[in-house]
Amino acid sequence: MTSLLNQLNPSIKAFTVILLVCLLTFVFDPFTPLVYCLFTILLTFVCGKIAWKRYMLYFLIIILLSVGMLWTTLAFADEPNRPHDTMEILFWDIPKEDVTVALALTLRMLAFASLSFMFIFTTNMVHFILSLMQQCKLSPKLAYGVLAGYRFLPLMKDELNQIRAAHQIRGVRRANGIKESIQQYKRYAIPLLAGAIRKAERTAVAMESKGFSGERQRTFYRTFTVKWQDWTFLVGMLLLFFIIIMISIKLGYFSWYKGQF
Amino acid sequence: MINVSNLSLWFHEDNDKPIISNLSFQLDRGETMLLLGPSGSGKSTLTHCLNGIYPRELDGKMTGDVTIFGQSIHDAHPGTISKQVGVVFQDPESQFCMLTVEDEIAFGLENICTPPLEISRKIDEVLQMVDLIDDKHSVISSLSGGQKQKLALACVLALEPEILILDEPTANLDPQATQEFIKTIQTIKQKKSMGIIVIEHQLEGWVSFIDRSFILSKDGKCMYDGPLARIISDNKESVLEEGICLPKITKLVLTAAEQNKAAYISPPLTIKDTPSLVTYMDNSFLEKTIPAAHQADIILSASRVTQNKKQKRVLHQIDFDLYESSFVAIIGANGSGKTSLTKVLSGIEAPTHGDILLRQHPIRNWKEKLLRKEIGYVFQNPEHQFITDTVFDEIAYSLRLHPYSESYIEEKVHYTLVNCQLQGFEHRHPYSLSQGQKRRLSVATMIVDEQKILFLDEPTFGQDAASTLKLMQMLKERHAKGTSIIMVTHDMDIVDKYADRVLVLENGEIIRDQSPDQLWKDSDLRRWHLDYPTRIQLQQHLEVNQHDFAIKST
Repeated sequence: MTSLLNQLNPSIKAFTVILLVCLLTFVFDPFTPLVYCLFTILLTFVCGKIAWKRYMLYFLIIILLSVGMLWTTLAFADEPNRPHDTMEILFWDIPKEDVTVALALTLRMLAFASLSFMFIFTTNMVHFILSLMQQCKLSPKLAYGVLAGYRFLPLMKDELNQIRAAHQIRGVRRANGIKESIQQYKRYAIPLLAGAIRKAERTAVAMESKGFSGERQRTFYRTFTVKWQDWTFLVGMLLLFFIIIMISIKLGYFSWYKGQF
Repeated sequence: MINVSNLSLWFHEDNDKPIISNLSFQLDRGETMLLLGPSGSGKSTLTHCLNGIYPRELDGKMTGDVTIFGQSIHDAHPGTISKQVGVVFQDPESQFCMLTVEDEIAFGLENICTPPLEISRKIDEVLQMVDLIDDKHSVISSLSGGQKQKLALACVLALEPEILILDEPTANLDPQATQEFIKTIQTIKQKKSMGIIVIEHQLEGWVSFIDRSFILSKDGKCMYDGPLARIISDNKESVLEEGICLPKITKLVLTAAEQNKAAYISPPLTIKDTPSLVTYMDNSFLEKTIPAAHQADIILSASRVTQNKKQKRVLHQIDFDLYESSFVAIIGANGSGKTSLTKVLSGIEAPTHGDILLRQHPIRNWKEKLLRKEIGYVFQNPEHQFITDTVFDEIAYSLRLHPYSESYIEEKVHYTLVNCQLQGFEHRHPYSLSQGQKRRLSVATMIVDEQKILFLDEPTFGQDAASTLKLMQMLKERHAKGTSIIMVTHDMDIVDKYADRVLVLENGEIIRDQSPDQLWKDSDLRRWHLDYPTRIQLQQHLEVNQHDFAIKST
């Protein structure tokens, strides 16, 4: 296993994923997304250094979801054009057409998931934002705001737990029913917001004290550049996509998306 | 370097009471100044003026001027002042925006457009300076409080400012981390000729190398500008009246002198100076007045309590019996499990293993409502506990959970208000109170129902001398009436003065459970990041140097 995927430029990686997701939406047959999905997973495992246990877990969740989707699309399918052309799945006669549509939708979702996971599991969030600033000219004001917020989330969670315990000890009953729950969260909201605003203000002052003015003119300690590997990755992923389409046309599976669902 | 002239500042355009009024002073190259004043006297506001946040971010108005190297802050470009004035803030959690140590230092350098190669050189340099080089690649959230403050200092030093402002940098640190931080500052001061302004409540350690003090009064006026020792000998009443914390040793000698049990040439600021400045001191003043805890009925007991969080051991095999009407202090390094212990003992969190008995019944079998009538818990942040919109309702809240008559409740609330020195604030919103008042209110809500056990998590944190004293008096009164108090603290003088029993925690285990007096006999408390109280430090110093001015009177 190498870490080739991890070393790619995050912006280009994100662009590639988005582009391919867009292209995949035009395809509507089970074969193309299935093959593309398998290739992506293979690529992730071979060329990426990832927390594979977590990867599997997340993918399992997505598979469960897609099985649910498969069933609902089958059960609530449109009136088929050729209702007598059926196939038997688990003692159940289903029009072949419906199966194709359902499979196409489900596998498309899996292909999207595999692409997104390839990005998420091989990309450092901080590096992604830094790269967005350097390659896509994202405003530093926004970028460092997001980074500071990213640090905040766990702190907010701790604080909510604190407030919950503090209220519990005051004898505030655990909420029963929706109305009380809403009221309870309203009570949590004030100290939580007061704390968050204060913290945010402190962070802002601290950032400004370190010379941050939100201007675009700055240097970068971690520089991200676009190298030939990045372009190769983009072109390679696109080529792979078109080759799979060619094969699928050859085998007679291919069809364009015509607004079915 | 810095020149402040007739500076006044208001938070609202039409408000006639300024936050700071008519301040003028100068700070020269290499000079170090202590900025003192009670809570709410405008110390932090002044800091904001000095580093260029105000007037740009100010909604109110500002008159007078601040010039830094001849340039007025009114026409300074945002971001340029930071190259000259660096600030380390109080809260270690909220002054970073990146995830790792090196990125955080790089952030500041990137802002001022330092070339990347230079950045990596400077990162190593400043990390070496604050002794954090081994943590270069660490994630910030994994650092201890003391390390975080050192990192904050490193970030600022990397920008090579001419002036360094430290805004209560050690308020959240344990005694050893505090000493280390001060030592770091001292070394840096020797290496670089920076101007330093220190805002602090705890003056120990600082006064040994900072002579000049600038004192603000409650209403934001300049009260004094000069050597600290002089105002203490000339006009100590005014300093004490304002609620300004003096070094503990100074306080000790002054109190002794008031009772004619000490005499001095001039008030000492450090323990080291004491023998040469104090001519006579009654030995009884250095002895313990609080008797050790007596064994009474056990009201709360924990046996073999263990708590794990995310597979990490927080508490381990805790055995503890709480006797009726005792005053227990829990001490230990940051992260040793002090807060977790109080939370488990008070039934807020459940232990992973082990039993906790309250009046011989397992605490988990107690009904929440009855349990809260027995145990009160004061959180570190008082605001977390406020539920209602007025001080009166806040105190009445827990009484109203019981079928008491309204007149009884009113009587009870008024009694508590007086007790907590909050009379006259009944109709104020809890959030609008001062820090000290908020703290007292949060204690008030926990004692109004005559709870027998009261837990407090660092109640004196961030408070000035006056409010600390008020709070401790209030707790002492409760204790005298039979309430058991269990308090987490970093302040050894409070432990010494009030507690009759002390628990020392290390890595989630109780490693000492004895009277404070016995603990002070231990020769090396520093291995647990602890320190000795002032009177013991003085005794030790006298013993080592064989001074014998302390005479035992009959």
